[in-house]
Order: sequence, then structure tokens, then C-alpha cells
Amino acid sequence: MTPTADVIDQVNNLMRSGFEIPGEKLVPTATLAGDLGLDSLDAVDMLVYIEETLGVKLEGERLATVKTLQDVYLLAAESVHHSKANA
Amino acid sequence: MNVFVTGMGALTSLGLSCEATFQALLEGRSGVRAYSEWAEYNGLHSRLGAPVADYDVMKIPRQVRRSMSRMSEMGALATFQALAQADLTPGANLNSPRTLLIMGSTSGSPCTFETYFKKLFEKHGPEGQLSTSFFKVMNHSVAANVAAAIGYDGALLAPSSACATSTQALILGWEMIRAGLYDVVIAGGADELHYTSTAVFDIVQAASRGYNDRPDQASRPFDEKRDGLVVSEGAGVLILESEAHMNARGARPLARIAGGTYQCDGAHMTQSSSETMMGVIREALKRGGLSAKDVDYVNAHATSTVHGDAEEAKAIAGVFGDDVPVSSLKGHLGHSLAACGAIEAIVSIQMMRDSVLVPTRNLERVADDCKGPRLIQANTPVQAKTVLSNNFAFGGINTSLLLSSPN
Repeated sequence: MTPTADVIDQVNNLMRSGFEIPGEKLVPTATLAGDLGLDSLDAVDMLVYIEETLGVKLEGERLATVKTLQDVYLLAAESVHHSKANA
Repeated sequence: MNVFVTGMGALTSLGLSCEATFQALLEGRSGVRAYSEWAEYNGLHSRLGAPVADYDVMKIPRQVRRSMSRMSEMGALATFQALAQADLTPGANLNSPRTLLIMGSTSGSPCTFETYFKKLFEKHGPEGQLSTSFFKVMNHSVAANVAAAIGYDGALLAPSSACATSTQALILGWEMIRAGLYDVVIAGGADELHYTSTAVFDIVQAASRGYNDRPDQASRPFDEKRDGLVVSEGAGVLILESEAHMNARGARPLARIAGGTYQCDGAHMTQSSSETMMGVIREALKRGGLSAKDVDYVNAHATSTVHGDAEEAKAIAGVFGDDVPVSSLKGHLGHSLAACGAIEAIVSIQMMRDSVLVPTRNLERVADDCKGPRLIQANTPVQAKTVLSNNFAFGGINTSLLLSSPN
């Protein structure tokens, strides 16, 4: 599934507002822990922000598979897709 | 063993530093403002507060700041100031195993409690709670967050005794250094303004209700027209240091801790008594090897409540007669709860250093039930060498701290 530009924008916005990450660091290959400096507490909060921003439900267990910003875009896109499918 | 103050930091309703606060006090300014928006809270009659102005939170790294409420932010910024003045840096010239950090607040963050429980009830469970919420409401939130902010990994205590919190921290620090357990103590307290804090006092009719339209006149300790306190916020932090440690590194003393004690009256949650207040003052003097004649100024706790001010006036007059100048800073600053003891100690030290005593703001006509002590009503030039600072808290917690000029 390819994330839409809208989903990418919304994720990038919450990365800026929630974690004060400069825009230039928000590239798909950026690793959450290494490049963006996010730790386990931030990862939990990131899911909360995504749920609130996109109006979706996420499974906390999926966090283990999320390593890069691209993974976050995909997770968010899948959640939006499932949310629409279940609507 | 002598214990000295070598650094001080404060954020108050009158300034974001010790210097700015003291200047505003000398100018007789008020930090109190009206909160007309609190009219939406049913049953809350007092709509006044004394907030700290906007400060630069970006001085605190995000990964530390994310678990901080306002009280921890202010505590951290005040600690930065105090350590800078003392020229101490954790990990460099501050040896953690010989250092103690003691900092407290009245409770965890009331602002976070509100948002946490509001969401909890809306969601019927913890769904959507941020991972960092608990770290803002735990009882040792200020101490733990300040430690993280300064990169400190030594001994840590978080006393909590409401309005006596930071005075207890200071006296405990003095005791610990004198006992030879530590060389340096970082001591203080912080609290944040929230309508629920005002409500605590409003419910027991101890918060000002009659000055909602005249905020700068609301807090008026010892005055015949006083009608209750105004809750404030802020942080105060002092660096205490043993004489040997201070001398070994060539640090400059700002003041000496000359004595102090904390006692509870074991009687009533809110009705303080002049007898137990006199008891704590006398015990503080005794522990410092001082007599009432050695004290040049008394910084009263006096919060502008009808009962508390009268009892404290009686207690001070009972120990010191009508000879020693007395004032309260609550008329200017409001009542910053856990922070007030440290802030008042800092200002008392500045009064000694500048040889001028700050009067009680809004004390226009001394109430009959507060007559007895020498209540000053104007900036008063006095070369005070020793001052006594009182703080009393709900739960019958009474504290008196003695500070002396360093020489």
C-alpha cells in the first residue's frame, strides 16, 4: 500500500509538533531511534498522536515492526484503509 | 559544621530570576491578576491567581521536558540558575555521591491531573493517554525531572508538605550537611497554578473572594480588610554547601544557614495555633544557638488569611516583642505553596545583602488581631545580620528557618 501525500503530510506534521523534529530530517529512510532520536516512550506517544490525528485505531504490538519513518507512513496508511473498509 | 548558601534561582509571579523578583518587590509591584474565566467553575468564589510569566522552555531538552509539567519546568530553570551562580556542574565539579537533591511540590501536577482524568472519564479507560502523563503527576515529579534536566545521578528526596515543602527541604539539607553525610545539597520546591489549588482554600473559606475586581489589592497580610490568600506558582532553589567544600573550591558564600526546625502540631489540619508556632520558632533558635535578640528581621508566612495571620502575629510578638521588623511577601507574590519557603529564603538573603527590608504589600491598616509585632509598611533600610523565615502548612506542619549574613 502506498501512503497518500495527505497521510505523509499529517504524519510529518505530528512529528514536527509532537517531537520537535526539524522538517529536513523527515525523510522516509530516517530511522526513528537513530536518526530522529525517538525512544520507546516517544513511540507510544507517536501512536496516540497518529490515532488522534487520523481518527484511526492502531495496534500497539505493531510498534515492534516500525523502524523507519516509511514504516510509520505505511502503518498510518494501512490504518486509514482499514478504518474506511470497516466504516 | 557551617553550611552556606552559594547559589540561588527563582521563577516567581514577579520575575523569572532572583534579581528581577527582588527589584519588583522593592518597587512594590503585585503579581496577582484576575481569572474571570474561572466563573465557569461552579462553587469557586475566588477568581484570582498570581502566575509566572512566559519563560523559555527550550532551555530544557525535549526528551527531558516531555515528562515535565509546568512545576517541573520552573523547578529545572530555577535549578539551572542556582547551579550557575554556585558555579557547580553535575558530572564535572559536582560529585554526585556527596550531593543530595531535595525538591518537592504540594502534589503531582494539578494541570495534568485534570487532563488525565478528563480523558480517562471520556474514554472510560486509559485509551489515548500519553506515556509521559504519569511522570507529571507522580509525587516526586519535580525532583526526578530536575535530576534528569541537570544530569544528576546522586541521592534524591522529594518531601511534600504543601506550603512548608521547600523550607523542610532547606532545613533537611542543613541537617544532612551538618551530619557529615553530604557536601552539597540542591534544595527547593515548585508548584503550578491551577484553579483546583485555589479551590482547596476557597472551600475552607481561606481564599480571597472580595477582591476579584481589584486583584492587586487582594492579598493583604495582617491588614484589617484581608479576606484570604491568593494562590501563586513558581520555583525556588538554593545550593547549600559545607564550609569545607565551599572553601576548597574557592566559592563565594551568599548567606549561612543559621538554624531551623520543622514540627507538626498533631492537632488540626487547618487551625494553626500561636502556641505551636512559638514552639517551632523557639526550637529553631535553640538549634541555631541563637536567642530572639539575635534576629534582625522576621519574614512571616502570613498568607492573608483571617485566622493564620492573627495567630502568626501573636506568635511573633510572643517571641520577639515589638522590636524586630516583620513583613510578609505574600501581598506582592501571592502564595506559591511548595515554592514559597525557598523563594522567601532567597528574598530574605537578598534583603540582608542589600540592607533593605521589603514591607508587606497592601498592609494599609494593621488589623486589631494582628497588633503586637513591628509590622513594617515601607521599604526599610536595615543591615540585618540574621533573619528568621516562617512557613506553615495544612496538616499542622510548622517550620522556621534561620539565615545569617556569611561574615
